[in-house]
Amino acid sequence: MESTQPSRLTAIALTFMAVIWVSPFSWLILNAFNPLSTGQLEIPSVVGLDNFGEAISGNAGRQFVNSMLIAAGTATLSVVVGISAAYPLSRLKIPGRNAFLWALVLLRMLPAAGVLVPLYFTAQRTGLLNQLGVIIALTILNLPFTLLLLKNFFDTVPIELEEAAYVEGASLFQIVTRIVLPMSRAGIAVVWFFSFTGAWNEFLLPLIFARVQDAFPMSVGLYAAFGQQGAINYGFLTAFSIIYAAPAVGVYFLLRRNMNTGFAGVGVKG
Amino acid sequence: MSDVTLRGIRKSYGALEVVHGVDLDIKSGEFVVFVGPSGCGKSTLLRMIAGLEPITGGEISIGGRVVNDVPSPQRGIAMVFQSYALYPHMSVYENMAFGLKLAKTPKAEVDQRVREAARILQIEAYLDRMPKALSGGQRQRVAIGRAIVRDPKVFLFDEPLSNLDASLRAQTRVEIAKLHDTLDATMIYVTHDQVEAMTLADRIVVLNSGRIEQVGTPLELYREPVNTFVAGFIASQRMNFIDVSATGNGLQLPGKKMLALSHPQLSQVRTLGVRPEHLELADATTADLSGKLAVIEQFGEYALAYVELPSGEAITIKLEGAPDLQLHDTIHIKVPVGVIHLFDEAGRALR
Repeated sequence: MESTQPSRLTAIALTFMAVIWVSPFSWLILNAFNPLSTGQLEIPSVVGLDNFGEAISGNAGRQFVNSMLIAAGTATLSVVVGISAAYPLSRLKIPGRNAFLWALVLLRMLPAAGVLVPLYFTAQRTGLLNQLGVIIALTILNLPFTLLLLKNFFDTVPIELEEAAYVEGASLFQIVTRIVLPMSRAGIAVVWFFSFTGAWNEFLLPLIFARVQDAFPMSVGLYAAFGQQGAINYGFLTAFSIIYAAPAVGVYFLLRRNMNTGFAGVGVKG
Repeated sequence: MSDVTLRGIRKSYGALEVVHGVDLDIKSGEFVVFVGPSGCGKSTLLRMIAGLEPITGGEISIGGRVVNDVPSPQRGIAMVFQSYALYPHMSVYENMAFGLKLAKTPKAEVDQRVREAARILQIEAYLDRMPKALSGGQRQRVAIGRAIVRDPKVFLFDEPLSNLDASLRAQTRVEIAKLHDTLDATMIYVTHDQVEAMTLADRIVVLNSGRIEQVGTPLELYREPVNTFVAGFIASQRMNFIDVSATGNGLQLPGKKMLALSHPQLSQVRTLGVRPEHLELADATTADLSGKLAVIEQFGEYALAYVELPSGEAITIKLEGAPDLQLHDTIHIKVPVGVIHLFDEAGRALR
């Protein structure tokens, strides 16, 4: 029975790894569903959704809505601005367009905190120290990535399809909305979901821009929840964390489905 | 009326001129094929007629109206692209109805015209399929169907068969010929394949380096090519060209044989052209040319024999049936005087 030796060792090692990985999550889930949570890793005596109720009502609910607004707003604005800029970049022979795109990417590599001060003063002067300001600032920071990705997707739409549509009488707007965009669905979905999660996870900008409690998104709310009630309410905190993490999981599955069905390219050969 | 007239058409990309003044009259209902090697400007010319490329100089008119500044959709043309350019996210029906819907055609009429085109092309069964679920030949039909539903005055085909395999190409060729007969529309067809040109065209336009070399019916081009380029390009087996020198009463062939001949411009002849199918086998005493058989290709109904002359020139002969010839044997060839073509130093035909 020599052959079982390594697999038993592997099994033990894997179990060990699994325990290490799983225990924080099980702590999170056990506490979230335990209305009498104490912050210990224990099997709850009562199971209930009270913590979740607390985490979506009042201030916390307000923060969920704020997060959704910021994330969906940023994602949508990124896609709209990205499409309008990436299409000409893909189709027109603009001198130095690649240098321009890569310069944008270089700018994106710089840490966001590095441009925080000028961003803040710009927002202050233009009266945008609010959620709209957060959306605009995040869109601007997203744009290099958005542009590059969408341009690459538009590049894969054969120019002959646009020519065919043009000969058939389509205006530029009709060509873009009825040929190019439907064929770039996957790319647009990727950009939207990535921008959405990026904005959802964003902490620094909302913290600095939205300085009133009512405007805080969940990321800031989570930070503020520590020590707010004197003692830490672990049940509330864990339920809040789960709700905060849920969109990322959802986006993952949506994205996967979209990536599988989105590429509608059709080859020339039969 | 859907004549197409080209007057002094030029096209430049920056300082590089690729089409150098093309004049051409295409009559209503005519099937004209532009043929030439890659880079000869045939596709560019077609795209200028389609309105997809701006014209650098000259004048294009369709149906008597100058269309230089008329946008493509208003020119009354429909184009079939080499890659078919079907919209992959739309069904066959939607692909065919796209142009009509853009033109705000009533729904009932769209439906009637799409179904009529589908019937002509026998693609009624695929109307609900997506393009990626079709074979190459079916996609080709949909692309043609998309052109038919718009009922254009002029059909433009840009190498529509080059992505099909050989048997399907022959089949589709016949269908396009039938379609032209049914629709009675003007058709302009671009190809680099001289077989398509010969079989489909009412008239062939042979292009080379942005210039028209010759315009004529397939048989005119076959029988009376104006220069060595056209002579070498048209017909399935390339014409043989043999360097000759003129003497007082004939032509000096390689191998020191004389070809007795009288011609008013005999002294200018530099090249003798003769098609492989016009050469005949002979015996050593009557032969005009002799050489070693380098390769023989047997097709059953005919054979192509490639003969190397001692001077190094290679001659192709097309022989009926399946001749019993051995490789490296000496082959004796007779050049019948009645079917030869004579060219001067610049490659122009002498008549």
